Amino acid sequence: MSPPRILVADDDNTVRRFIVTLLADRGYEVLEAADGEQAYKVAERAKPDLMLLDLIMPFRDGFDVLQDLKRSPETASIPVIIMSVKDREEEIVKGLNMGADDYVVKPFNSLELVARVRKILEREIRRAE
Amino acid sequence: MSEVLIQVLWVLGSVLVLLSLCIIANKALREMRERRGARIRRDLEPRILEYINGKGERLAALLPPPRGMERQVVEEVLLDNARFLKGKARARITAACEDLGYVRDRVRQLRSPRWWKRAEAAEKLATMKSPRAAPDLIALMRDEVPDVRMRAARALGHLETRTSIKPLIEAFRDPNRWSALRIADILSGMGPGAADELMESFATLPIKARVAAVDCLGRARSHRAAALLINLLSDPDRDIRARAAHSLGLIGDPNFTPDLLRSLRDPAWPVRAMAAKALGKLGRPEAVAPLREALKDREWWVRINAAEGLRSMGEKGLAALVDAIEAEDRYARHAAVATLEGAGVLDQYVEKLASPDEREREKALVFIRKIVAAERTDHLMQTAARHTQEKVREQLSRILAPGEVKA
Repeated sequence: MSPPRILVADDDNTVRRFIVTLLADRGYEVLEAADGEQAYKVAERAKPDLMLLDLIMPFRDGFDVLQDLKRSPETASIPVIIMSVKDREEEIVKGLNMGADDYVVKPFNSLELVARVRKILEREIRRAE
Repeated sequence: MSEVLIQVLWVLGSVLVLLSLCIIANKALREMRERRGARIRRDLEPRILEYINGKGERLAALLPPPRGMERQVVEEVLLDNARFLKGKARARITAACEDLGYVRDRVRQLRSPRWWKRAEAAEKLATMKSPRAAPDLIALMRDEVPDVRMRAARALGHLETRTSIKPLIEAFRDPNRWSALRIADILSGMGPGAADELMESFATLPIKARVAAVDCLGRARSHRAAALLINLLSDPDRDIRARAAHSLGLIGDPNFTPDLLRSLRDPAWPVRAMAAKALGKLGRPEAVAPLREALKDREWWVRINAAEGLRSMGEKGLAALVDAIEAEDRYARHAAVATLEGAGVLDQYVEKLASPDEREREKALVFIRKIVAAERTDHLMQTAARHTQEKVREQLSRILAPGEVKA
């Protein structure tokens, strides 16, 4: 069985490289996107098992990408974890209402992030069974 | 004469060529340095990330002893990652900075004769978060340059240790050297420990600092400060009463409602305004009627906060606002309409003008006529000109025509 595939979309190279290493070390296959446009294209093409999505990105912001992902039947079922420095209640609620499965505020705890990723992937596997 | 001119031109030309060569060489050197830095980063970063993610006890054991540019790059990678991490990974970055001597180096830099070097060191120590730097940062709070002092204070705020709280509270006592608001900003990010210390020192602080301290207690969401804040609602100083009301709203315990309802009748309008805002946050139904009454306040700030408060209280609050559109008091009517506009309620009713359901359309017409009678029609006029549906534009224009609605 191939390892779960996770797309990390963040325009900050340091953050992206950190998360990629964090997840790759735990055996996940990790894809990367450095802006909103690329994030949507990679998600549409590769259909990852989970997507970590930053909100503030060039070309298209995370909310915009999330909205389009959830609109299209092809990508609507991809679970999304929003990762953002935006920590206001309204933004968190907006993200979750738009269909995100979880919302992680930066700065984040890396072990907690891995636990959230694992939990969502396990839920998806149970759902598929 | 012409020979002298030729010589002058020759010298000038040589200087220009030399300058150009210097600029080109400098640029080339900088680019080379950047490329070398990027190469070193590519080599070292994976091992540093492995360490941050939990591999090994010490970063020093995973890397060859970093020297020169390598040393600079390792520090850069550690601090770049410290920006967005917390918890165990963050603590490992601090440990690596201490172990590899970066904390020691930056503490030494705090004694530089150049103020910007001292400021840079304080900034880096803030990111390293090593408690070992606390004594030197406390000493730096006496620096002659205000920017350096403030960075030292911010760095102490980042350390979040008990030893760093006291000097920050002390800074409150010296308004000539410190901005009370900025110190309050730092302290409010330091959690409940800072709030406790602040409460202990509160009575001895000068009045300006007390106002900032009250703010700080609210922003720290310190429940333990509730009793003090409730007492301060009766303070002789109106600014302190106002900030206490605001802070109680931030803490957000619905049990504060009776105290804040009393403040809604305070003789000073800033207190009433803050009480209205806080009551909106607490969201208790018994506050709806007093807030509806506060829409008639003679001060616009109180009216706006009361309306915003009602808006944030959900269905009951919105119903009170709709009801206030027909109030006798002109101020109350206008505050209610402005808030309903902002909440998008007015637009929802406008959309219903095109509904296939006749009852919905009738309800929308009744509501919009009330808004017109309240004499606040700017938004409706704009919508009448711009709405995408002709039917809606027509209906709105008819309602807005002079003589259509009698107040």
